[in-house]
Amino acid sequence: MDIGTGLIGLAAAFSVGIATIAPALGQGNTAGKAMEAIARQPEAANEIRTSLIISLAFMEALTIYGLLIAFLLLGKIA
Amino acid sequence: MFWTKAAYAAESGGTDHGPQILFSLFGLDVTSETTTMWGIMLLLAIASYLATRNMKRIPSGIQNVMEFAVEGIINLLSGIMGEERAKKYLPLLGSLFLFILISNYSGVLPGAGHTPGLKAPTSNWSVTLGLALVVFMSTQYYGVKERGLKYFKHFFEPLPFMFPLNIIEQMVRPLSLSLRLYGNVFGEEMVVAGLFALVPLIVPLPMMILGLLFGFIQAFVFTLLASIYIAEATEVHHH
Repeated sequence: MDIGTGLIGLAAAFSVGIATIAPALGQGNTAGKAMEAIARQPEAANEIRTSLIISLAFMEALTIYGLLIAFLLLGKIA
Repeated sequence: MFWTKAAYAAESGGTDHGPQILFSLFGLDVTSETTTMWGIMLLLAIASYLATRNMKRIPSGIQNVMEFAVEGIINLLSGIMGEERAKKYLPLLGSLFLFILISNYSGVLPGAGHTPGLKAPTSNWSVTLGLALVVFMSTQYYGVKERGLKYFKHFFEPLPFMFPLNIIEQMVRPLSLSLRLYGNVFGEEMVVAGLFALVPLIVPLPMMILGLLFGFIQAFVFTLLASIYIAEATEVHHH
């Protein structure tokens, strides 16, 4: 295992690792605000839940992009 | 390392080899994803036929299920584009939703990925890119059909120098649509394969349950985004 393979492995790990930081913060904020909104107005809970799921899916996609790059890189060395 | 076993077990399209080709038909290669797509088409066609023959006023059985699904989709679309446009674009968007939902779930069937002939179609970027391009082409087509050639004026809308940015935004849409769907389904499949290579018995189960949840959410989000794009393209301002 030479240094090239090692660097590709490192890049794959960092790719998915760093890609989860910002979306996780964003999703946490969104979920928190959604909880507050439901607490303020419980009869709107269904609409808020739907919008919450959609917003979480958008942020999830950003992490998935990082995961895809990690898979591609790992495919090169194994 | 276990990764090679997982890669072999998932038989996925890595960077070395493409999807496993089963046979050739009229000069085109047929892969496992294609045969699974045929199976899904057959399933949807038969279910629709069974649900709509002898239609009763008060539904029961499979007609009830289909009416529930169609009404759910119309409610979702009405929230975005209003009732009459929702009914107009229901064939395209409803088919997208049902097809993506069933093909996301077909990856959880026993033997998916291992047996030749059964593999979730949306776990291949080619399929999801095809779906995203269908959505892209339909937005342009419906936009021109509703608004005529003045549809292209909206690229210059807020300020004329925004034209390159608007074009880039239009081009990025199919990319993000396809990658979101592909990444979710392929990623879930790879993680299940990796967990399976480690501990075959109970451990992959939580990930598969998450896969069921995310499969539905991704089908929902794809259809929602497609409907938002079409609604935005066919926006006709009444004076």
